[in-house]
Formats: sequence, structure tokens, C-alpha cells
Amino acid sequence: MNLAALVHSLRCSLLRIESRLLQAAGLDRHLAPALAVNGPSLLPQLQPQDSIMWMAVPKKRRTIEVNRTRRRCDSKLLKVKTNIEPCPECGHLKQKHILCGFCYAKVRKETGQIRYQIQAMEGGPLRAPIEETVVLYDGETAGPQDKDKRIVERPRKRPAWFSS
Amino acid sequence: MRLTLQMLISHGRVARKMGMGPQSRINMLRNILTGLVRHERIETTQARADEVRFYAEKLVDYAKKGDTDEKAMKMASFWLTEKDLVPKLFKVLAPRFESHPNGYTRMARIPCTQNLDRAKMAVLEYKGNPFPPIYPTKKQNELTLINQLLKGYREERAQLFAAKS
Repeated sequence: MNLAALVHSLRCSLLRIESRLLQAAGLDRHLAPALAVNGPSLLPQLQPQDSIMWMAVPKKRRTIEVNRTRRRCDSKLLKVKTNIEPCPECGHLKQKHILCGFCYAKVRKETGQIRYQIQAMEGGPLRAPIEETVVLYDGETAGPQDKDKRIVERPRKRPAWFSS
Repeated sequence: MRLTLQMLISHGRVARKMGMGPQSRINMLRNILTGLVRHERIETTQARADEVRFYAEKLVDYAKKGDTDEKAMKMASFWLTEKDLVPKLFKVLAPRFESHPNGYTRMARIPCTQNLDRAKMAVLEYKGNPFPPIYPTKKQNELTLINQLLKGYREERAQLFAAKS
């Protein structure tokens, strides 16, 4: 009997069905947020002076030819050393302005042994003597020039490269 | 201080900076010099050896003045931190270098193989030390063919000269 009310209710139900169908299809446009929180009313706007708009970025891909010329330029290649020569004493290679490693290692080892002997003779720290030192090997005796010197005995044959 | 451009650019400045400032540099050099006077041959980095060389030679110059000289004694006692080396300096090193006017030290570069950071090393020594020489002396062998021929040539020339005159 209340025709208007009936029509209204039908209309409402049809609209509801329509909206449900649209929601299911995903075509509705209400844009209701999934989560609502309290926050600033204005979204932060990106100012024009911010860096993200001004960053340097390559415009084009660098070709392999350009890459090769950069990677193989003269300053990046290994330099050839022309100052390497064989040591005349032992034959190992050495640089011209630097001592031979092999020959110096021999000298260093012998110096270490002599120092060990000196340490044993002195017997403690801070006991430097007030006279010169001379090193004598097996079968050698002190000569007239070694009169006032402290003698360090080394129990081995004199090496060929250490002439007195 | 005014931040001038001269402060940032170091063109032509020859003085080396070492350690944490000038005082630290002098202390470091003093330690190295004490070690050199005690052991007469040390291995350090090239820059430190170069710096110490100057101070080592100056110290010997002061020691040559004699140990009665007050300035020399003050210098020696400042630069040598271990006091048993002061008599060694005046009684051993000063007479050793009496005939030399200058050049009491010898410095040579070493290949850097031992240390982890591959720093350039040098060996510094006082001349006349008892240890084996770092520069091998070239022995002239009289018995090689060329030396024998040259010897014969020199003798012939001497004979001709004697015969002429």
C-alpha cells in the first residue's frame, strides 16, 4: 500500500547490490583509507630546492669502447721499471739505488751474531765500554793495531766478504 | 689565525714533519740517535735516517770540542738519553773521527721485504764500526788475464823509459 516506501526500499537494495558488485570488482572510487591515524593535516610537500630533484645521473650507457679507453689509459697501466740489474756479487736482482737483498741479509745476520756475542760479554744493559771494538774469527790473533780495543771472538771461519 | 692560501700550499717547504709535532719529532730523533751511538748501525725508515744523519754529524762535531767544554757536555747529555753513552761518545767516537772533517755517517737504502706495511727502509751507520761492511769492496784480482797483460805492459813501458833516459 505504501508504494513510495516500497519503491524507496527497492531502490536502496538495488544501490546496495550495485555498490557491493563494484566493490567486488574493485571499480568503486570511495578511497577510504585502510588505516586512519592522527597525523599532520598537510602531507609533506617536496620543496623545489630538495636534492632528490637535482642529483647527477648518467644520461646514457657508457659504451664498452669508451670504458676500455678509460680503463686502459696510460696513467692506469703498470709502469715498467728500467732500474733493475743483477748484483755483481751474488747475481740476484736488485734496484740500482738500493742494496742487494741477499748480500745485505748475510751482513745483517752476521751483525746480529756479533751483537749477541757483545751482549753476552757485557752481561747487562747500559754497559757500553769506553774503547773501540774489533771482531776476530777462528785462528786470528790481535795485531798491534788492536792494542786498546775490546776483542769480540766469533767461533767460525772469517767470511770471504768480511775482510779485516 | 688567518686562513691564507700559503698555509694550505707547501711549495718549497723542505722541513719534514714527524710524529705529533716538533717536540715529538725531536724526542723521536733523540731516541734513534741514542740507538745509533750505542749500536753504531741501525735500520729505520728512509726519512728518519735522513733526519738523524744531520743530528748525528752535528753531535760528533760537538764531541770533537772535548768533554771539558760545557756546551758540548750539555748537548751530549741532552741528546743521549742513556747516560753510559756520553763517555763513549767523547772517548771513542770523537778520536775515531779526528782526521775526518765531515761525513761520519753512511746511509744506504734497503729493499723493503720484512715489514708488513712495506715502508722504505734505510740502514744508517757510523764509519769505522766493527761490523761487516754494507757496501762490498771490490777486490782487484791480480791473477786475471787482463790484469796480468796490463801488468806486463806497464813493466815494458817502465823498461823503455828507463832505457831511454
